[in-house]
Amino acid sequence: MKIAIFPPNSMILADLVERRGHEPLVMQRQIRKKVTSAEIDSPPLNITTKEPIEGLKYAAIEVPSGVRGRMALFGPLIEEADAAIIMEDAPFGFGCVGCARTNELCMFNIRKRNIPVLEVTYPTSSEETMELVNKINEFLDGLEDKNG
Amino acid sequence: MSPPKKPESLPKNPDSGKEYTPKAGHDKSPETGKDNSNIAETGCLLHQSEPAEEDGKITKMIILGPSAKISNTELVRNLHMMEFPLTIKTTCYGAAISGEKEDVDEVIKRIRKLDPYNIFIKDRGFPLGDPRRCRAKRGGAREGFHQLEKEFELLDDVSKALKNPRKVKVKKVEKISPEEFKKIARECK
Repeated sequence: MKIAIFPPNSMILADLVERRGHEPLVMQRQIRKKVTSAEIDSPPLNITTKEPIEGLKYAAIEVPSGVRGRMALFGPLIEEADAAIIMEDAPFGFGCVGCARTNELCMFNIRKRNIPVLEVTYPTSSEETMELVNKINEFLDGLEDKNG
Repeated sequence: MSPPKKPESLPKNPDSGKEYTPKAGHDKSPETGKDNSNIAETGCLLHQSEPAEEDGKITKMIILGPSAKISNTELVRNLHMMEFPLTIKTTCYGAAISGEKEDVDEVIKRIRKLDPYNIFIKDRGFPLGDPRRCRAKRGGAREGFHQLEKEFELLDDVSKALKNPRKVKVKKVEKISPEEFKKIARECK
């Protein structure tokens, strides 16, 4: 099954999903498509003017272009997902997820899709981390059962 | 000077006489049979970008957890010994490999067996040594490194949890009723 993860660049979430035989829908996949196309050649322009226009599918024109640009990358992952894992309260410097409004919009879009979703919070202690891993594994195994 | 172009008028509904307004998700207009898949929920016309060229090459990072039984050198030696047509790079956290998807997936499967609970894998968007990201050219840490550093702190506990799995109950999040929501709103006042 294709599992959307949030933050979409989390190593722990992607690794756990892969270990259970599912396909994690990660941000890096989208980035790879962008950076290997010939037109982007100079840093730090990963995002071109096309992305805020593509983002109009997810947010209105009044929404800042930064949100729309990010949504142009996150949106297709959410649309493709069969299930999702959301880890809330991830540290602010968590790569590309530094925009709170985009994060809210992403979570809204995931919940709106009516797919199985596991919502957890970023662990702050050893006990919480172990609980998180067990919860994720339990959730992923449950998906397999449903899938037959 | 040429006269300004007239905006195209939308087709009208024969019963109501109102103009047909396209909605998101309607791929074809019932009246005209026209493709509307490029019209967003927000009513805006969507720009369809061309898909990026895919050469089938992917890059993955192999991260050794804090309690890993093998070192970076051993990891890279093992990767070389597998003799797959890959680009292999030693890094401070483990190694990064790049190559055809099938080869990378097979190598990942085999390398995990060396230390199943302490080897973690992460996808990487930029190719190895890309001047836009490689710190040899840019100086300073690569953008994703700070996040990796943060997650690295949790890896010891993650591997412990993987080694000793426990049964836990996953609570299903359910929607609350409007009455309950009103009650919460009143309490928050």
